[in-house]
Amino acid sequence: MLVSFLQLTASGLAVGMIYALMAVGLVLLVRAVGTMNFAQGDLLTLGAFVAYWLSVQLGLSLAGTVIGAILIFAIFGVLFMLTVFWPVRKSSWPQAITICTIGASTIIKNSMTLIWGSRALNIPPILPGSVQICGVYLEKQYFVIIGVAALIIWGVFLLFDKLYCGRIMQAAAQDKYAATIMGIPTFITIAVTFMIVMCIVGIGGYLVAPLFVVSTSLSRLQLRAFAGVVIGGFGNLKGAVIGSIAVGLIESYSSYVTTTYKDAVVFLLLLMVLVLKPSGLFGNRISDKA
Amino acid sequence: MKKFKIGGSLILLVLALFLPQILTNYHLLVLNNTIIYFISALGICMLLGMCGQMSFSAVSFMGLAGFLTAQFSKTYHIHTLLAGVLAIVVTGLVANLIGKALMRLEGSYFTFASIGIVSIFSTLFLNWKWLCSSADGISGVPKLNLFFMTVKDRNQWYYVLLVAAICCGLFVERIRRTHLGRAAASVRDNAIVASTLGVDVYKTKVICFTIASTLAAVSGVMLVYHNSYAVESMFTYDMSVSFTLMVMLGGVNSTLGTLLGSFLMTLLPEALRSFQQYLRLLYGIGIILLMIFMPMGLAGVVESLTAKWRKHLKLKGKGRNNE
Repeated sequence: MLVSFLQLTASGLAVGMIYALMAVGLVLLVRAVGTMNFAQGDLLTLGAFVAYWLSVQLGLSLAGTVIGAILIFAIFGVLFMLTVFWPVRKSSWPQAITICTIGASTIIKNSMTLIWGSRALNIPPILPGSVQICGVYLEKQYFVIIGVAALIIWGVFLLFDKLYCGRIMQAAAQDKYAATIMGIPTFITIAVTFMIVMCIVGIGGYLVAPLFVVSTSLSRLQLRAFAGVVIGGFGNLKGAVIGSIAVGLIESYSSYVTTTYKDAVVFLLLLMVLVLKPSGLFGNRISDKA
Repeated sequence: MKKFKIGGSLILLVLALFLPQILTNYHLLVLNNTIIYFISALGICMLLGMCGQMSFSAVSFMGLAGFLTAQFSKTYHIHTLLAGVLAIVVTGLVANLIGKALMRLEGSYFTFASIGIVSIFSTLFLNWKWLCSSADGISGVPKLNLFFMTVKDRNQWYYVLLVAAICCGLFVERIRRTHLGRAAASVRDNAIVASTLGVDVYKTKVICFTIASTLAAVSGVMLVYHNSYAVESMFTYDMSVSFTLMVMLGGVNSTLGTLLGSFLMTLLPEALRSFQQYLRLLYGIGIILLMIFMPMGLAGVVESLTAKWRKHLKLKGKGRNNE
């Protein structure tokens, strides 16, 4: 009993951290451009594929992979913003950006299938092997994921709450017009936001790939991240992180009860939260903008 | 203008009545599928175009209604028409409950949650033994019996579907001109203003969602009777994206536009068969280009062109008067 409990906790926490990375990315984008990103899961998959390309196909070392991946992610983030957000930012129809991200999701998914094929690929973990705690073997990759993800999330908090450039980004997100008047270059701040989001999510993909396989089916994880965002309260970074970790743990523990309906358990929980506490567990008190 | 519209629809109707005489059996199958998808797309047209809520869950309700009909008519031997109606009613009730929960979410959060619904239902369609018998679905669903006739071949199906589609189309057009339609439009344009004018935003959204899901259920029942089998792969997320594309290509708030979009979206894969591999990639690029260049779809383009034309004619007429 204890054995499986420890194992489930470790895997739940690790996967929850990955959801948290995606959820943080989602919240940052919601704040910056006011829309949900439906391509988030595909960005995660892209991260996994880029890591596979750099580390397995090109055979780079760990440092080379990380640096190369971050460079590619940053460029791709700007590209993503230029195609999905910039042309439709003044569209009279507010759904336009959302629909563009759906289109981007299809494009990214199918391009990856065309480039790397539809066969699932394997990528070795960053730290191979496992450690023994209380007689339970736990893969080292779990600890790598938890550590790196916690570091990234801490960095995002620091950036957005404490540093000047984070405040600029928040200002540009809250009211673009006023921010422009104050002399804030909105184009650059939004581009940087997209770059950061792509880096966070891409690294998430690199981290999670060894646990599963590298294939386009990884994009299904975005629904869990979304559930985390809703459970934590919309637009709230801390809530999103806690909600996502909760989703990861619940999903993991749910294998005590059922394995076929794992997906359904998470979404039933989501529906319950929506019915009982529509603003989420840590809902913020900012009301709608007219 | 009104005379022109009535005349145009009469010509279309006569053309539609004689269409099966010219088409081969295979083309008739494609056409029937188009009409079935059109009914489901109408629901999305209503929810997205009229009420401004983007949902991907249509496919789940299609599937639920489809599987229920198959079970009712095959396992429980209920009369086929009755089984269909029963399935539609049950699906409508389920949709109402789900809508009540989901409509607490705003805008794109709602859209995301509707994708969650799709994933829950596809798990159910694969694993719930009572509903789907096995992961391979249900085959050998009995033929639809309309009391006075049993719908057997594709030719007969075509006419049944045509009647159903016209009824659903007129129904949606009618709603557009009622209190509900105008309330929905106000919710779409500005929810806060709508609520100050006494529109119950939440209730309007839930009703629109229920009607849209019921339309999806109708099309699901038709699909299952038409193909006489039901399987999970008929009701996937990709399908839902196609429905949304149909509506957006034709024009989000136009019934005729939705019809045109359904035709284009079903016929395009037939025409582009040699590019099968790149098809979904092209769809994706198409969506983004559509949003950038014509966010209101083909109907929007036609509308702005006619408006320009009319202005042009008016200017010309004025010039002549002055001479």
